[in-house]
Amino acid sequence: MTPAATKGAITLERVTKRFGNLVAVNDVTLDIPGGEFFSLLGPSGCGKTTILRMIAGFEEPTAGRILLEGSDVSFVSPAKRNVNMVFQAYGLFPHMTVNDNVAFGLKIKHVSRTEVGGRVGEALRTVRMEELGGRRPAQLSGGQQQRVALARALVNRPAALLLDEPLGALDLKLRKEMQLELKRIHARTSTTFVYVTHDQEEALTMSQRIAVVKDGVVQQVATPRELYERPVNAFVAGFIGTSNLIVMRPDVRENGLAIMNLPDGDHICAPDTLAQGAEMKIMVRPERMRVWGEAEDERTSRVHGTIVEVVYLGSMTQLTIDLATGERVTIHELNDDLKGALPVIGEPVLVKWAADHSFVIDDGTTVNVALDESLPA
Amino acid sequence: MAAEAVLSARQRWQARAVRRLRPFGFLFGPVGVLLALFVAPLVLLLIMSFRYDSLYITKTGFTLANFAGIFTNPAYRTVARDTLMMATTAMLLQLAIAFPLAYFIAFKARRWELPVLLLLVLVDELNPIVRIYAWRMLLGRDGLINSALQWVGLTSRPVLWLLFSKFSVILVLSMSWVNYTTLPMYAAMKAINPIVFETATDLGAGWFTRWRRILLPLAAPGIFVAILLVYVPMFTDFATPALVGGPSSYMLGNQVADLMLEIGDWGTGAALSLLMLAATAVISVAAYFLSRLNQLD
Repeated sequence: MTPAATKGAITLERVTKRFGNLVAVNDVTLDIPGGEFFSLLGPSGCGKTTILRMIAGFEEPTAGRILLEGSDVSFVSPAKRNVNMVFQAYGLFPHMTVNDNVAFGLKIKHVSRTEVGGRVGEALRTVRMEELGGRRPAQLSGGQQQRVALARALVNRPAALLLDEPLGALDLKLRKEMQLELKRIHARTSTTFVYVTHDQEEALTMSQRIAVVKDGVVQQVATPRELYERPVNAFVAGFIGTSNLIVMRPDVRENGLAIMNLPDGDHICAPDTLAQGAEMKIMVRPERMRVWGEAEDERTSRVHGTIVEVVYLGSMTQLTIDLATGERVTIHELNDDLKGALPVIGEPVLVKWAADHSFVIDDGTTVNVALDESLPA
Repeated sequence: MAAEAVLSARQRWQARAVRRLRPFGFLFGPVGVLLALFVAPLVLLLIMSFRYDSLYITKTGFTLANFAGIFTNPAYRTVARDTLMMATTAMLLQLAIAFPLAYFIAFKARRWELPVLLLLVLVDELNPIVRIYAWRMLLGRDGLINSALQWVGLTSRPVLWLLFSKFSVILVLSMSWVNYTTLPMYAAMKAINPIVFETATDLGAGWFTRWRRILLPLAAPGIFVAILLVYVPMFTDFATPALVGGPSSYMLGNQVADLMLEIGDWGTGAALSLLMLAATAVISVAAYFLSRLNQLD
């Protein structure tokens, strides 16, 4: 795999980072093309921040290489790399005004006075803080400080911008606004964005591609849609969105389907790709399971169940159902299919889903199935 | 009847004042002691400076002759200049040592932070006179340093200017009160969020820029408090020059002591004391306001 030497391209080649006996990052290889909005997603402590810090230069890899625009920068100091970082705690200089904070990187590069003024103004306009240039950080709200930190990084026109959970300290509404603003700013500049977060919704909202990380190992790198619809293992399936886990023991295998027969005419079908034996685990997304209206064919699973909980959420209804097979599943039904009254607790229902909407997983291994090949790559 | 019920404006004001001050009633004792033991002697000094007061000359009436004598006599000017030079040099030396020490304790010490702080405080607990005598043993003709130098072979005869000189006074002054210099700077540095150094590095700053643009401005209040606390004792000290100094390191403190105790010219001694008080007050106030510069808004 030749490292991309395009502007802003970042490559990690078999990067490992050890802190004493702890392996924080384990043999990670990533290829981020220039200009992409790329996210590192995972639970706390999974190593995503360590990966980011290695790209920035604050940590050195124990093994492997880090390439920026084709050149090896693994051991280059952060001051000399053409990347800038927006820290989780912002790190604004408390004794300088907003203008001076933003101008800091430029002054170090000995940019001329007039150009500094122009670029600082431009950066502040990009983050919509142009009125508050004279203020000190202590006089700004959290959201404003975050935007100044962003401007301070962007003004240097780095090849890549690294963001370490920058929206964590903001309230929900502000966070959602800033997510869209970051996306907008990314579209305007040609800078690569590498974004670290533990919030899957945030990653799905903003990113072009996401790397899901667990315990220092990259589980899957894909577009948001691919991660959601074709997760590679149980961890990714469970981390991105919600899904239901069902265990089945196939009785028959035919036409590419593994079928488990159940009493009352019920059966579960799943794509038969695991060449192994008695037990399979499948996962189905909540919106793919239906209780009211779905045509059946020979590739539809059906199981009887009882409603345990009903939550009306405006545009959809969330039902929790105990299946005859013993599992408890969550179903999202859109309310424009709703005819008449809402279902009630205790009501018996028939749950159906298409075999092609389930994916077979085995905890930890990389086996994936979803035969819906109409999805773009 | 009406006249008794209605209090005059003055009486109302008095009642209000008493009510406001009542919670502070417990302070009258300590304040009284303070007035007696601190302010009164100063007032006495003030009076003395305007009179010919000495063991031999007592004149009634007030005069400026004491002050005039100080300003016209070139000897006083020399002593003042020497004192200024030695105190300032000692202060700068101490800052040069205490600043890196404070930085080390604040940012690099990790689990040694508390032990080192304790050690710092303990070391200064030692009686200052005893400490100064220890310096004599180090610097003297037959002292530790000279013996070592001769034993190693660097000199054949003892180095005499190590003790009883300007050098020794500056050296000992710069090694005294290190606590009071290090701790305020340490406190100012602890208030810095260390992440600003990382962000500065990310933006391209090398160690010098980080030091000059980030550390120094943010630690400046600590530096000025250190000066505030230590410069005055250095400037007015007379024990150090008396014990490790010689004729070339005569300081203003010694001058006042001599005037009062040896020569018996209390008038001039008092006048000189007051002038020193005024000078150190100006320096202290300036240092205080400089230390609050960062809190302008």
